Amino acid sequence: MKSMSRLAIPYIIWGALMIFLPMLLIVIYSITKEGNGILSIAFTFEHYKKFFTDPDFLVILFRSLVIAVKTTILCLIIGYPIGYYISRSKPSIQNTLVLLVTVPMWINMLVRTYAWIGILSDGGLAQQSLKLLGFDPSTLLYTEGAVILGMVYNFLPFMVLQINSALAKMDNSLLEASADLGADNKMTFMKVTLPLSVPGILSGISLVFLPCVSSFFIPKMLGGGKYMMIGNVIENQFINVGEWAFGSTIAVIIALVMMISMYAVRNLEKRQSY
Amino acid sequence: MDKNLLISFRNIVKEFDGNVVLKGINLDIYENEFVTLLGPSGCGKTTLLRILGGFLDASEGSVIFNGEDISELPPYKREVNTVFQKYALFPHMNVYDNIAFGLNIKKMSKDVIEQKVMKMLKLIGLEEFEKKDIKTLSGGQQQRVAIARALVNEPKVLLLDEPLGALDLKLRQEMQYELKKIQKEVGITFIYVTHDQEEALTMSDKIVVMNKGSIYQIGTPEEIYNEPQNKYVASFIGESNIVTGKMVEDYLVEFDEIAFECVDHGFGTNEIVDVIIRPEDIDIVDVEDGKMTGIVDNVFFKGMHYDVTVQTVEGTSVTVNMNVIAEHAVTSDDGKEKISANDFYLDIDDMEELDDKEIIARADAQAWEIEADEYISIHKIEYDLQPVIGKYNVTFSTASGTSITRTIHVVDQKYIVNRKADEAVSAFDFYKTVEEVQEAVAIDTDLKTWAGAQGWRLSDEEESIDIYVNYDFDMDNIELGQYKITFTTEGREFKINTTDYVEEGKEIGLTFYPEDIHVMRRMIG
Repeated sequence: MKSMSRLAIPYIIWGALMIFLPMLLIVIYSITKEGNGILSIAFTFEHYKKFFTDPDFLVILFRSLVIAVKTTILCLIIGYPIGYYISRSKPSIQNTLVLLVTVPMWINMLVRTYAWIGILSDGGLAQQSLKLLGFDPSTLLYTEGAVILGMVYNFLPFMVLQINSALAKMDNSLLEASADLGADNKMTFMKVTLPLSVPGILSGISLVFLPCVSSFFIPKMLGGGKYMMIGNVIENQFINVGEWAFGSTIAVIIALVMMISMYAVRNLEKRQSY
Repeated sequence: MDKNLLISFRNIVKEFDGNVVLKGINLDIYENEFVTLLGPSGCGKTTLLRILGGFLDASEGSVIFNGEDISELPPYKREVNTVFQKYALFPHMNVYDNIAFGLNIKKMSKDVIEQKVMKMLKLIGLEEFEKKDIKTLSGGQQQRVAIARALVNEPKVLLLDEPLGALDLKLRQEMQYELKKIQKEVGITFIYVTHDQEEALTMSDKIVVMNKGSIYQIGTPEEIYNEPQNKYVASFIGESNIVTGKMVEDYLVEFDEIAFECVDHGFGTNEIVDVIIRPEDIDIVDVEDGKMTGIVDNVFFKGMHYDVTVQTVEGTSVTVNMNVIAEHAVTSDDGKEKISANDFYLDIDDMEELDDKEIIARADAQAWEIEADEYISIHKIEYDLQPVIGKYNVTFSTASGTSITRTIHVVDQKYIVNRKADEAVSAFDFYKTVEEVQEAVAIDTDLKTWAGAQGWRLSDEEESIDIYVNYDFDMDNIELGQYKITFTTEGREFKINTTDYVEEGKEIGLTFYPEDIHVMRRMIG
């Protein structure tokens, strides 16, 4: 066993260099003054002060969280029935259905997002079809709706797969037992199926919520700059403005927000665990 | 006991993808009965239970419950509860919530639920366990919770699907008594599915023996054990000696060429029947006092008794000649391939069924490429067989024309008949090369194959009988020449359970009472 654990050493070094060190650097950037040399480091909390005193940034942070929550809820509402349906279908079809859910992920996210721009743009496919159905659609692209649509489209498979795998683990005889004890289909769902799928729901939520909060590409393309999210701000700070220290600060704040929400989800999971 | 009809299965047929697993089951179940559906796996017993529980629909027929047809009713509307094979307890609930599940669904008041659950916990001996997590319970405890969860709903019938299957032997025996006790206490009908005859005999008021989707016998444990209706039931419940006999007249049955008094009647004159005698019903006595005599073959000590095997009729044997001949493969003109085959004997009666494939197999005809050491196929067979005793040539050839000619000896093969043991054996002389004998992988089996040795029941030619081989050559150092091979059956052996020790090899008498002989009609199909 000892010699086996020694085999892990290269990976630990790799992990330290590639994960821990960059994170440490971001934290250091966030609490130092710009333009420090290696030898003279001056610490400061002014970046944090700047973030929390500027209402613009707080509004963007809040908006990012709201969009992430909306996306997560939509993913749950759409994803649960799909995951449920897959888990209840014949084993031979299950693999095909899982494949169908994951197929869009084989195509580059950039390409998929550009495709949505084409569909949603003025005079595009979406507007045309809505017109045919008798609606009078205003602009679709560059709205919050477009951003959420893009996010749901991108992150839905994660939710479906998590819920499906939680439900697939559930023994069919539990449903029979419930029916045997007098519960009709609705009650069986509420009292057995749903509680047993909570772990899947929770991990689905974290897999959708976390990347949503920090995503920058989809809001940039489908929100057209009007719906800036916190990820876009970070991108700006690094690429356009060149303020690495402030960018790092926002990144650290986002990381903290995520850690807190992960912690909350894990606590929920613990309480629900069986 | 109350004899109020509770459940009637009426001509239940169930098909799965064209497979008929239940072939028209008719069964009545009364109030307060402990009924066991007993049978091997795949006999349809669980399917029948699931149809009653509402988890499966019958393809045909109906289920009558308390005078009402419930065939169309979903499970949650049926007044039955099930204890599932793997318990199916809800993992996200503790013991209390599991048991209270059904009552909560019925929206009973909290204090009533608590009262009932506590009473159940007491009944199953798991007081103080109500807050425990299901996963921390042992198999036996989970089993009890599953029973409590079903019983708390006060069903008219409790269905149990092999509930003890996952427990170890000791616990299983304990639970058998406990289940019976619970059933008596709550006074409802239990329908219990198992493949374990001991469980069935211990607990049941009524046993339903099932096989291949049909009911073979319904009766009390005593009836099933003492008066099995056919060979299958007898062999499934307890150990038995099953022999083929002939009903000479009412109250007189003959087997092993001896006529015995019995209590059975109503068979046709000289009707062939199955005769069953339980091992514990046979007594070992002195030779002159025995109804039949035999040689003690084996004695095994079993703790409570000895298991004795007695041979009452000697085995049947047939001896044939194995002609060991020299290598005689034919090499092609270009020296590239070889072909070989042996002479063989053929029964004139078997000639009709003979085809090319059979001839190749009997002659063990083979062809191979010398250089590549690879088999090639026999391309052509020529023969001119007549249904007359004599010698006929057969020629095997490969695609490139290499051929070998051998002789088929058509004979009128006599088989050895042993009426006393109700069996016959036959075997043929055969030819083999030194190499073929030396290369035999499993010589006993190969000898049987080469000689075409077979044994069968006279009264039922479909039933084959095991044959043992005797020979005295040394297979590794075999030389050309003729060797005797003897094929023997075991003869008739009786199993006897006795508390008295007997010596192996001793000649003894066997005796039994007329009522210990169970005569039954032969099964059809």
